[in-house]
Amino acid sequence: MTIEFNNVLPFPLQEYPHGPESVWKNTFKIDFPKKVVLNASSGKGKSTFVNTIYGIRQDFEGTVKIDNADVSDFTLDQWIELRRTKLSIIFQDLQLFPELTVMQNLQLKNELTNHREEGRLIEMLELLGIGDKQNQLCKNLSLGQQQRVAIIRALLQPFELLLMDEPFSHLDENNAKIALDLISEETDLNKGGFILTTLGSYHGFDYEQELNL
Amino acid sequence: MLKEILFRNKTNFQFVFATIGALIGLTALCLSFQLMLDVQSFHSGEEDLFGPNSVVIQKKVTKLSSLGMNSTDFSDKEVEELRNKEFITDVAPFESADFRVAISEVEGDGLPPFYADMFFQSIPDRFLDLDVDWDWNEESEYIPIVLPRDFIMIINYGIAQSQGFNQISEELMLAARLTIHIKGKDGNTKMIGRVVGFSQKISSILVPKSFLDHANEKYGSGNKIQPNRIFITTVDDSYGELEELMEDMNLDIAKSAIDVAKIKTIIGVVIGIFGIAAVLIMLLSLMGFVQYSQLVLSKASYEIQTLLRLGYSIKMIVKTFIKQMAITFGIITVSAISIMILIKLLIVDVWLDENGIQLESSSLIPAILLALICFGIFVGANFLNVKKTVRNLGE
Repeated sequence: MTIEFNNVLPFPLQEYPHGPESVWKNTFKIDFPKKVVLNASSGKGKSTFVNTIYGIRQDFEGTVKIDNADVSDFTLDQWIELRRTKLSIIFQDLQLFPELTVMQNLQLKNELTNHREEGRLIEMLELLGIGDKQNQLCKNLSLGQQQRVAIIRALLQPFELLLMDEPFSHLDENNAKIALDLISEETDLNKGGFILTTLGSYHGFDYEQELNL
Repeated sequence: MLKEILFRNKTNFQFVFATIGALIGLTALCLSFQLMLDVQSFHSGEEDLFGPNSVVIQKKVTKLSSLGMNSTDFSDKEVEELRNKEFITDVAPFESADFRVAISEVEGDGLPPFYADMFFQSIPDRFLDLDVDWDWNEESEYIPIVLPRDFIMIINYGIAQSQGFNQISEELMLAARLTIHIKGKDGNTKMIGRVVGFSQKISSILVPKSFLDHANEKYGSGNKIQPNRIFITTVDDSYGELEELMEDMNLDIAKSAIDVAKIKTIIGVVIGIFGIAAVLIMLLSLMGFVQYSQLVLSKASYEIQTLLRLGYSIKMIVKTFIKQMAITFGIITVSAISIMILIKLLIVDVWLDENGIQLESSSLIPAILLALICFGIFVGANFLNVKKTVRNLGE
């Protein structure tokens, strides 16, 4: 998958100065599979960047292209198809279903894509240390635990690009490393890439490219 | 699981309200439609002979007519005027026999001996719808005759008693032959006739036009006779215009003859009002369901947006939602049809039967079709509404 930005500038960020290295108001192209990190402090537009690629935000000037196609021409149905087959995401606000159990949240995605056996789901939950929580309602979990559910959910589909918006903000370094290893492994299995946004920590991972804001 | 997510925040109050509204509305609509069809098709046995909208008109006999100063004949101009009325689709003056007629029994056919002076009239064949052979020609075995139903009543409950002979059943009257005595310009002749039907609408003795034309030519005096009774066919629901015409032309119409038309018009209006009310209830309940869907969808807006972001298609979400609605509408439709059939079988049919009214055809199938069409409209309208709302949430 190819992501291309041509002088993209979100309307809410027009008042702020953007450096020559910034993804905003610049032209660049990334060919995935590639593991990319976007490291920036709060308020610079990390979520805006992720949501722009994911088609949730369309309030920008300039051109964003996915696989050489201008995303402003995409219909909702095209975005949905892309999200089911090529693009996956871990939202900063997680976007889980609080009234469903951990397993139901995962199955909701897995039943759509038929991507993994239930045994693999349990393995992943256990690997991230929440194997005993599968029948608990998500709303009763801590933020860190919910974050791990959202991470596993994002891995339950085929993808060429996984977008992660501060996915480890509520995890300790050790758990973040375990999660990142799992993500990297699944990304390789999918022959895909990822973009990870972070507030400063690289979680000891060796990224292939770094973006700035 | 989708169903659980989408309907988690449903509000039962509105749902129950809309469901009850739809059930009442649909039942009332089907029932009124079905009754309307019944009313349109019901008839007394009489109409089998003369079609549903045909009546005989004649001028009222007044004191002046009795003195011979005011004719009850219709002039050619008046007949033409009738033909030009928009609500009248067919006009046929009665033709009368231009010779004297009497009837008596045929010995051995079961009728008591009698002899009575008579008259013959005829109307065009198109007004008659008889199962028996109404055609007549010179080779025919007998002359078919339609008698007024009152005639047999007069014989059985009047003449038979006073003259001391046995009463005559309708069956016997239809089976027995009659001797027709014709006294014309060239002497007398006898022919055989047979009663083929009874009429409540026409107080006349009818014979085929072909016979009357032939007999008038052969036995008549040759004078032109102006008609004094006219058969007319009107368009549906023209009772009001007919009343007006009666006033204008000082007409007399056999009361029983217009009863069916009158009942049809009045019941039609009542059922029409009932039907309009039912349509309004249906529209309100449809709006109720549309609002219910919108409320449920807006309460589930986070869930729907998230599902679309996870890759669930609009179609899958709409399908899950509409499936639930279709089940609800299906139950409403089946219930409404069941209630309608019960009312039809247990109340309407029993009443019709008790009142001796027969129906030409079953009105149930069209009413069930109407219910299914309503089901389709409900599902269709909600489908469009849900699809639009889900798409808006996604965008």
